[in-house]
Amino acid sequence: MKNKKILILVCVLLVGILGAFQVLLTRHYCNALSETTTTGASPTHHDEEAEIIRLSAQEKEEFGIQVQRASEGELDLYAVMPGEVVYNADTVAHIVPRYPGVVLEVKKNIGDHVNRGEVVAVIESNESLVPYPLKSLINGVVVEKHITLGEVLTEDTVAYVVADLSTVWVNLTLYQKDIPFVKIGQDVVIHAGGELTAKGKISYISPVVNEDTRTGIARVVLRNSRGLWKPGMFVTARVLIGKTRVKVRVPLSAIQQVDEDNVIFVKKEENEFVPRKVHLGRKDRKYAEITEGLNPGEEYVARGAFFLKSELLKASFTGGHAH
Amino acid sequence: MIKFIEFSLRNRLLVVSLAVLMLAGGYAVYRNLPIEAFPDVSPVLVQVFTETHGLAPEEVEKYVTFPVEVAMMGLPNLKLIRSVSNFGLSVVNIYFEDGTDIYFARQVVNERLQEAREQIPEGFGEPQMGPISSSMGLILFYYLKDESGKYSLEELRTIQDWIIKYNLQNIPGVTEVLSIGGYEKQFQVIVNPFALLRYDLTINEVIEKIRANNLNVGAQFLVKNREEYIVRSVGLVKGTEDIENIILKSVDGVPVFLKDVAEVKIGGAIRRGIQTMNGGKEVVAGMVIKLYGENSSTVIERIEKRLEEINRMLPEGVKIAPYYEQKSLIESCVSTVTTALGQGIILVIFVLMLFLGSFRPGLVVALSIPFSILFAAIWMRYFGITANLMSLGGLAIAIGMMVDGTIVMVENVDRMLRSAEPGDSKLRIVMQACSEVARPITFAIIIIIVVFLPLFTLKGVEGKMFRPLAYTVALAMFGSLVFAVFIAPPLASLFVKVKTASNNTAPKNQGTGWLLRKYQPLVEFFVTHWRSSIGFAIALTIIGIIVFGRLGSEFTPTLQEGTIVVRLTMAPSISLEEGSKEIVKIVEKRLLKIPEVSGVITRIGRGEVGAHTDPVNNAEMYILLKPPHTWERAKSQEDIERIIRRELGEVPGVLINLTQPIEMTVDELLEGVRAQLAIKIFGDDLHVLEKKAEEIAAVIREIPGAADVQRDQVSGTPQVVILPDREKIARYGINIQDVQGTIEAVVGGVEASYVFEGVRRFAVYVRFAPEFRNTSEDIGNILIRSSSGVMVPLSQIAEIKEVTGPRQITRENGQRFITVQCNVVDRDIGSFVNEAQRAIREKVELPSGYFVTWGGQFKLQQEANRRLAVVVPVTLLIVFILLYSSFNSMKNSLLILLNIPLALVGGVVALWLSGQNLSVPASVGFIALFGIALENAMVLVTYINQLVREGLPLKDACIKGACLRLRPVLMTALTTALGLIPLLFSHGTGSEIQRPLATVVIGGLLTSTALTLLVIPALYRWFSIKPEIEAILD
Repeated sequence: MKNKKILILVCVLLVGILGAFQVLLTRHYCNALSETTTTGASPTHHDEEAEIIRLSAQEKEEFGIQVQRASEGELDLYAVMPGEVVYNADTVAHIVPRYPGVVLEVKKNIGDHVNRGEVVAVIESNESLVPYPLKSLINGVVVEKHITLGEVLTEDTVAYVVADLSTVWVNLTLYQKDIPFVKIGQDVVIHAGGELTAKGKISYISPVVNEDTRTGIARVVLRNSRGLWKPGMFVTARVLIGKTRVKVRVPLSAIQQVDEDNVIFVKKEENEFVPRKVHLGRKDRKYAEITEGLNPGEEYVARGAFFLKSELLKASFTGGHAH
Repeated sequence: MIKFIEFSLRNRLLVVSLAVLMLAGGYAVYRNLPIEAFPDVSPVLVQVFTETHGLAPEEVEKYVTFPVEVAMMGLPNLKLIRSVSNFGLSVVNIYFEDGTDIYFARQVVNERLQEAREQIPEGFGEPQMGPISSSMGLILFYYLKDESGKYSLEELRTIQDWIIKYNLQNIPGVTEVLSIGGYEKQFQVIVNPFALLRYDLTINEVIEKIRANNLNVGAQFLVKNREEYIVRSVGLVKGTEDIENIILKSVDGVPVFLKDVAEVKIGGAIRRGIQTMNGGKEVVAGMVIKLYGENSSTVIERIEKRLEEINRMLPEGVKIAPYYEQKSLIESCVSTVTTALGQGIILVIFVLMLFLGSFRPGLVVALSIPFSILFAAIWMRYFGITANLMSLGGLAIAIGMMVDGTIVMVENVDRMLRSAEPGDSKLRIVMQACSEVARPITFAIIIIIVVFLPLFTLKGVEGKMFRPLAYTVALAMFGSLVFAVFIAPPLASLFVKVKTASNNTAPKNQGTGWLLRKYQPLVEFFVTHWRSSIGFAIALTIIGIIVFGRLGSEFTPTLQEGTIVVRLTMAPSISLEEGSKEIVKIVEKRLLKIPEVSGVITRIGRGEVGAHTDPVNNAEMYILLKPPHTWERAKSQEDIERIIRRELGEVPGVLINLTQPIEMTVDELLEGVRAQLAIKIFGDDLHVLEKKAEEIAAVIREIPGAADVQRDQVSGTPQVVILPDREKIARYGINIQDVQGTIEAVVGGVEASYVFEGVRRFAVYVRFAPEFRNTSEDIGNILIRSSSGVMVPLSQIAEIKEVTGPRQITRENGQRFITVQCNVVDRDIGSFVNEAQRAIREKVELPSGYFVTWGGQFKLQQEANRRLAVVVPVTLLIVFILLYSSFNSMKNSLLILLNIPLALVGGVVALWLSGQNLSVPASVGFIALFGIALENAMVLVTYINQLVREGLPLKDACIKGACLRLRPVLMTALTTALGLIPLLFSHGTGSEIQRPLATVVIGGLLTSTALTLLVIPALYRWFSIKPEIEAILD
């Protein structure tokens, strides 16, 4: 009997020990898991509640962080549009034979310079059979020629077109979206590719838009004393549609988007920055107006703001708030 | 069994020559076993990559990922489909059940890929399978060192892509070579939109003209004077000049050339990854990927040889400089275990000679080691197990056990021969001696093999890691059984001398004699005072349990690969060249300040698709270390890691992780969640998913025990979205396609054609000049031509807005999901999960079609526990049955099983004393310990039984049996322990995974042997056999 009892005791012991081993093993692995997952760099820079971002002086230098004081400034608002160089319609002359007749003499060719009253051709009138001279009406350059020796011209033939190219027109294609902003007298910078640029002012805006293209015309009269602006050229124009002074102007590099909001990093203490939601007003190619969120005189990060945003986001991409 | 022995004794010559043959064959196989550093733990996985031309994640998912996923559903042996749709890249991971043949898997994937290709819209990318490789496949990385300084990044990349790559790719065993860094050469056609306007052209016309003017044709042949002349018309463009002179149109006979509307120049392609080194200097690099299943070490040798040849071919001053290679890792891993193996063998043989006291029997026993190892090698080959840290480690563990069977055999032969009558036939005595012990030996060895059964049921990474070890142990033990039963008897009959009757008292070795003198009174005390022996056993067990509770724990010790990688994760929206590169430059500079670091080489983003899928906000920095003997502050890789962590500090906006090349690849392939608990929320709408995930995370955080709660970061990539207004474009008579086509060509650019230089082909890439497409305002000014020929700016007909879009879209089995993961501390996971599930049901309302799954490591662990809960008892049952059939006694079997918990104590205490944690390898050690403990107990009980049968009183039988068996028990225990000593003291690569195992076995052996020798004899009285009953039964 006694033997049997001890036998049972030993069996129970055996099972118990193995069972305990198994339970402990499981528990240990679970703990092991939690230990392995908590490794990794602990984000010390980022304080969750206040969202203060701290950077050391060395880091500021490494990342090229630049701080500026918010101040007023001007915004140059431009509209960009394509355009075309055409003759100045006010200084073009069509040279037409007064009487129909046979061309006896052709004196000028395309590109020739002519003076006002200079004879450009001689025509024999069909009616009087008397030769008469065809004269230029203005000083200018022959730009078109539709006259050949021996040809019979009627009085509605344009024998020559003479244009005064000391000024040319640049007709800009005015799209509907720009129409409200473009006004006569605005400054325009015209590029024709390469180094060729010129400045001018809008002198005319067409009262209607073309039915096919739905575009209007804005015109700039350009001085062309060196003859570099040739009719037919395609150009790009930047029209200064507005120059406004705004109370707070920041460079575009200062503005970061965080969760669809525009954010600017404002300096709190030396080496401490906080993100602040701002409202943007108008923008040009370099600057933006801040209508809300940043007061004049406050210091903000003008360059390198992206790195601060990264630090802000680090919490979310390393995960969670439970540090 | 006896027949076997009889047979092998009768045909001694045959058996011995067969054995020699097997040794020779085994050696040949052993030499040619594929060698790896560690077992390949990668899942059976086929990756399908699709590079999509500049598509955003949503589009990638819709047009590419989804069709691929759908096509793959229902594949045989399919386990899981997981996908990531990133900007410009779709990756679909198709996981198969473990054990599926990789080529079969690839074949079925490839068949279905055809279907997928048809579903993907034209021009949205061509899905292709990843390299035939695994996580161990990245065997060599190199960069191009330009000593002359003459070559541009673009030229270096061309050298890499067209000289080095092709020469490496045709090495047998290399499946792919991938390039990264520098610039891929391209002929860029940079179009000026105003020029297009001037000549009344559209960008699409330009593209078409380029395509139409770059062509060679063949026109069969002419016959001239009985000779054939092949006709070819050559119209391929040869360079920039030819491209410039492509005629776009002709106005009144005046041709308009491409150069009139565009600038043509050679430039670099758009990049999604770069390679930098030592402070931001860009370099060109390549990585060599090994074919699945190839022998890493031989492939690396071939590559190195070829690299030398290529170096001679390269232009003056350009050299290939490898910066990471697996070879050194493999060498050091293998040398760690082979050294241990060799030292173990020497120690074991030393012990044998010492105990057996004579050379000849010792030789027979020692021979069982090479036999068992080479026997295992042959079967490793057969089962496709590579030689690696774990499989060779298994052999190292088994050394001590391999000899046990033969020891018993030879010892018995030796004993019987000594007591032989002078006239007896030697053969007959040997046969009798062998037959006597053959049965217990067979059972003992089979029990050891059976004890390793639970290891075969391990799943996942641990399973893949430790199964080779279980295999080799089992194989080697089986080999030792074959040796003991078949080969040892003939060898013994040949080598062991017949002793004259005069000195038939067993020659007691001095050492054992002394031990015996000390041991005998002790065992007598314990047998007489049996209460104290039980008390002793229970006390030890309690100590064991207490110590066990204090043990630290880890899952599996991390293998030290000898190479440190610093992995940076930056903000998801960061740009490559102005963001990531700048940060990497800063970090590289900081790293270079560390005296032990000789260089840093970094991959940012991804190069050619195939090995890495990282977006540009990820960087991996390979740290090149100075030779270890020059380190002043560090002794080990861990020290260096600590130093790096300290000196690197924090980098604003950057998450820094230290990892290792193979470890990193494995993590990437498994893509599993490392946390205990992973809550996956499945559903359609990304915003809803994100919102619900945040809500769930918030709920979880409130539950006691939650730690490290985090959810996937899935959004945060800024997008410029262009939304054409259908009403407006209709008014202008424009098609959506015109708009989209123009945007694609103007902003993204289009590959119009190729320029061939020999067989090298370079893309002709058409795009607007940067100043016309760089901002959303510029994009708004892009002109679209209407059907009436009117040019309309994009902003007139489309809304252009900047929004924040998804960073990546992850899907599992065809559904989008987001993961919330967390760990649980200081409480039981089961109750935590229950509470969390209830809380989420109450507080989070999920829209219909959304659901939550609970998984993570805890689930794997639970599954493993459930499996072990079946396997361990089954194993014990099998062991019990084996014991029972060996002893024919229930009580005997129980007594022997009792040894198991007693053996645990020593292992636990040894772990605790050496400051190690409980880990998977330690558990493997416990398993091995069971087997050895059982064997010891079996030896002892067998002899006590024998003495009881001979009629000795119980108590005397116990004491005498214990004293008689002191020598074999000590010998088997000592051989096993000493065989492991080298692993215990090794500091080589990979030793960290073997050390806990060796610690447990050695520690356990100490207590188990002590207990076997002291407690078993004492307890035997209750577990004894009844010779009277046996006699009746017989």
